[in-house]
Amino acid sequence: MFKQLSERFGPWVSIGIFLLMFLWLVMLVILPQILMIDYSLRPNLPPSQIGGPDDQYTLKNYATLANNAIHQSIFFKTIWSSVLVTFCTLLLCYPLAYYLAKVATPRQAALCVLLLIIPFWINEILRTFSWFIILSYRGPLNALLLSLGFIDRPIRFLSGDGGVIVGMVYAYILFMIFPLYNAIESLDSNQIKAARNLGSGWIRTHYRIIIPHAKPGIATGCIMVFMLSAGSYAVPALLGSPGSRWFTQIIYNWFFEGGDWNQGAAYAFILLLLCIGFIVLMMRLFKVGLGDIAR
Amino acid sequence: MDSSVHLDHVMMKFDDFVAVQQTDLKIESGEFFSFLGPSGCGKTTLLNIISGFIEPTEGTVHIGGQDMRRVPANKRPTSMIFQNLALFPLMTVAENIEFGLEVRGVRKAERRKVSERLLNLVALPECRDKRISDLSGGQKQRIAIARALAVEPRVLLLDEPLSALDLKLRQHMRTELKDIQRKTGITFIYITHDQGEALTMSDRVAVMSAGKLQQVADPMTLYRAPATPFVASFVGENNRIEGKVVAIDGTQVTLDCGDLGRLSGHTQDSLNLGDSALLFIRPELLTRRTSMSDNCFMAQIRELNFEGAYLMIEATPLKSQQRLRIQLLSDLNLDDVATGNLIIFGFAAEDAMIMSGARDV
Ligand SMILES: Nc1ncnc2c1ncn2[C@@H]1O[C@H](COP(=O)(O)OP(=O)(O)O)[C@@H](O)[C@H]1O
Ligand SMILES: [Mg+2]
Repeated sequence: MFKQLSERFGPWVSIGIFLLMFLWLVMLVILPQILMIDYSLRPNLPPSQIGGPDDQYTLKNYATLANNAIHQSIFFKTIWSSVLVTFCTLLLCYPLAYYLAKVATPRQAALCVLLLIIPFWINEILRTFSWFIILSYRGPLNALLLSLGFIDRPIRFLSGDGGVIVGMVYAYILFMIFPLYNAIESLDSNQIKAARNLGSGWIRTHYRIIIPHAKPGIATGCIMVFMLSAGSYAVPALLGSPGSRWFTQIIYNWFFEGGDWNQGAAYAFILLLLCIGFIVLMMRLFKVGLGDIAR
Repeated sequence: MDSSVHLDHVMMKFDDFVAVQQTDLKIESGEFFSFLGPSGCGKTTLLNIISGFIEPTEGTVHIGGQDMRRVPANKRPTSMIFQNLALFPLMTVAENIEFGLEVRGVRKAERRKVSERLLNLVALPECRDKRISDLSGGQKQRIAIARALAVEPRVLLLDEPLSALDLKLRQHMRTELKDIQRKTGITFIYITHDQGEALTMSDRVAVMSAGKLQQVADPMTLYRAPATPFVASFVGENNRIEGKVVAIDGTQVTLDCGDLGRLSGHTQDSLNLGDSALLFIRPELLTRRTSMSDNCFMAQIRELNFEGAYLMIEATPLKSQQRLRIQLLSDLNLDDVATGNLIIFGFAAEDAMIMSGARDV
């Protein structure tokens, strides 16, 4: 790569480019993370004692979670709900992605994509908050269901995790649609025809031909949506009920309400590491390799 | 078992574009039937109609005497071999072949028996557990055939299945396909733009052009008695000479062909004096003459191609721009046949076909 660049722009410009890339990586990605790891491994001390004899590396911050049952249950709730969000998003997006990739004419597909993207021009807080209004006890959704006679009495959509899950599914649709679309689109349509021709019904054609082909795309979409859900702060903060706290909210509290950055950093790393572990486990389970995803 | 295919006044329109003009055709049980035509003439569309992937705008398809109107693609007794084969790359060879049986709920042991029998039929028993990507082009071809045969179709539809293979393999597969057809007795509907394939394998051939059936006949008839100017020029090599009718004697017609002089041939069209007409004469029916007489012309040799048993000549008649092709047996005395030389060529009037210019496409 360096050779190509230097042939094109000369050695000095190339060195400059590499230096900038290096600085970018180190200053903006690696250093802050190392700093956070360092934080997470030190005790929370008043400013006067920092650097003093008590400022020793310790795993105490990580142990906090092991001793706090409430935080643990919120942690597992977060993981479980994120799985649910991922699954719902997949369920919603797969038919849509299939339609876009294999059924719609180019015009229809372009229109659909536009309709999907337009809402994302509005900022996230506003979008999420509009769901708060839609789902509220006296909101339009309840009014609609009441007037259609599906329910006798308004439903408290926002009381459990329901609101958060709906809000997240909506917020992360695009992260699922596009990998799925790309994967399904790359399948030769004759494969689908061949399966039909050999007698296969639609359901079998999907699970034997289309889904196996789209697996890397499904994995990519699921990983993104899962990571975004597990690490989301705005959606649970806006749509969550008091009883449905997200793990990110606890991290936030450590940082900005407890003022204990060391503890917050430790929690953030636990979340990151366990999410990665969970994803690796799922990839093993569904036999997806890293190479498939990078494809 | 009746495995005939009847296209009953089938017509296909995409928006305003007529891809297949109204076609009425009966393909017999156990026949090797080909559709031959240039690319884009509607062959694949016709095959898609038979297999049920698209609904014809008008008309119905009957397979084995049964109306297929309400029968979806996955319930039809047809099996297709796709132009790009469309083997399932994520499955092994055996899984590919057994897929159609798996769909039908056939038990594993039973499926295995079928795939083994078919792998023997296509002479690839050792490929059972290979991945599709590990097969050569010819092997893939055969696996596609085996996969299509596994569901015991009444009709096998083949969409230019040999076009991706190299020449040697293509010729080999021709005999093999014909062989399989004979062994299984299935109706084969074969699509190709390669006349060599159509003529060597088929019992009957339908020549298509621009969505229209030009002629349906056995290969010999197509070659000897083409029904339209399109068939005459598309099937086999032919020289086409334009002229005006100057004399009619029963079925024998004489044309004034401008710089080539007066040439005679026979016709089945009803022509009148003064009509514009086309004369077709095959390269192998043109012969050398020692002196000028009727149905002769002098031509200058432009190009010579030695093809073993034959010598293929391209020549331009004097004063004319037209290029004619002449095929001479290469064991004749060919000393004076050299580029630039003037030679007299002629043909017998009964060998030349004359058609009305109005039927030209
Ligand atoms: N789904 C379609 N929509 C519009 N036009 C089509 C469609 N399928 C085929 N055509 C047109 O119909 C004509 C015949 O196509 P096809 O049957 O594939 O030709 P062939 O197989 O003989 O090469 C072509 O001009 C093609 O552009
Ligand atoms: Mg075609």
